[in-house]
Amino acid sequence: MSKTEIRVGGLGGQGVILSAQIIGKAASIYDDKEATLIQSFGPEARGSACSAQVTIDTETIGYPYVKNPDVLVVMSPDAYAQFIPTLKPGGWLLYEEDLITLDERVPQGVKAFGIPATRFAEELGRRLVLNIVMVGFFAGVTGLVSYEAITNAVKTSVPKGTEDLNLRALARGYEYGCELARNSSS
Amino acid sequence: MVKLEGFPVEVTLRDGRSVVLRPMTAADGGRLLEFFRALPEEDRQFLKEDVTRQEVVERFVRELDYERVFPLLAEHGGTIVGDATLHRTKYGWSTHVAAIRMVVARPFQRSGLGTALARHLVRHAVNVGVDKMIAEVVDNQIGARRAFAKLGFYEEAVLKGQVKDRQGIRRDLVIMANDVSHLWEAMEALVADYSPTVGE
Repeated sequence: MSKTEIRVGGLGGQGVILSAQIIGKAASIYDDKEATLIQSFGPEARGSACSAQVTIDTETIGYPYVKNPDVLVVMSPDAYAQFIPTLKPGGWLLYEEDLITLDERVPQGVKAFGIPATRFAEELGRRLVLNIVMVGFFAGVTGLVSYEAITNAVKTSVPKGTEDLNLRALARGYEYGCELARNSSS
Repeated sequence: MVKLEGFPVEVTLRDGRSVVLRPMTAADGGRLLEFFRALPEEDRQFLKEDVTRQEVVERFVRELDYERVFPLLAEHGGTIVGDATLHRTKYGWSTHVAAIRMVVARPFQRSGLGTALARHLVRHAVNVGVDKMIAEVVDNQIGARRAFAKLGFYEEAVLKGQVKDRQGIRRDLVIMANDVSHLWEAMEALVADYSPTVGE
């Protein structure tokens, strides 16, 4: 696998940074690859824009900053507006489809996959796990991290006592992602 | 429909017997009625309905809705030996609270079955987003109080003389509560996307 650059964007309180940490952890610790993480916070916690940059490679990563991601994961309209022009043509766009409407700014050849992650999280019992639904969706659509690795990364990243629901959220997003990926390739 | 990951689950009791815990299905009506009818009267007196009546159990089956009442059955050799239920309200100011009710067959009392049922029900409650659970126990139900205490329940209120036993003696009803919202406060802090020391 060549170097893959990922940007995750959303609002503070959506768990943007945690989801990026989990993706990086899955790749580096459990899939035995290299990964870096850069995180950006807004001036306030809740409701302000925040994003994270993850790079995954099989070789040592010399430069961790992501300017033009191969994969863009967005959970809010602001994040979509800010980062969609930076997505590489032909890249992957993973977005929260109940919050974001795609428009002509999507670069050419981009493979776009939407998921109602917030709704799924609410159906599971907690809106808080929306980011974990998104992480599962990421793994299911892109296959950049194995399901076993992402499961272990979630288990070791969330508070004790919340693992079950978080793993269900992961599975919900993963299955949805796998299905969309299968349908798009057939 | 509520997801039912984790069930059925086999549990080995303190005396070595094993039981299977699983959610009740519409096919369980007959055996559930047998279970309730086999309970001694003194164990049934604190239940909220006359569960020895067929129409009551038929209603349980007919109105089966895991998001409103989640019934977890304990089964041993094809016989129901325990029933624990998680009651939630879908509307109003207490949708975050659920009530646990539980009854165990006499031969399986003091074997750890009550604790096992309650543990799995609490786990299920956390999974479906419940913040707080309550259980009503009568002051002399020492075993039940101990089982709930082991799972983090504490005595939150006492309703004096709220129930009458078969001898007509008024007894206190203890409301035990378990607030699990702290589990999710930790998760909330994790997804806050904020660090006072880290910035761009």
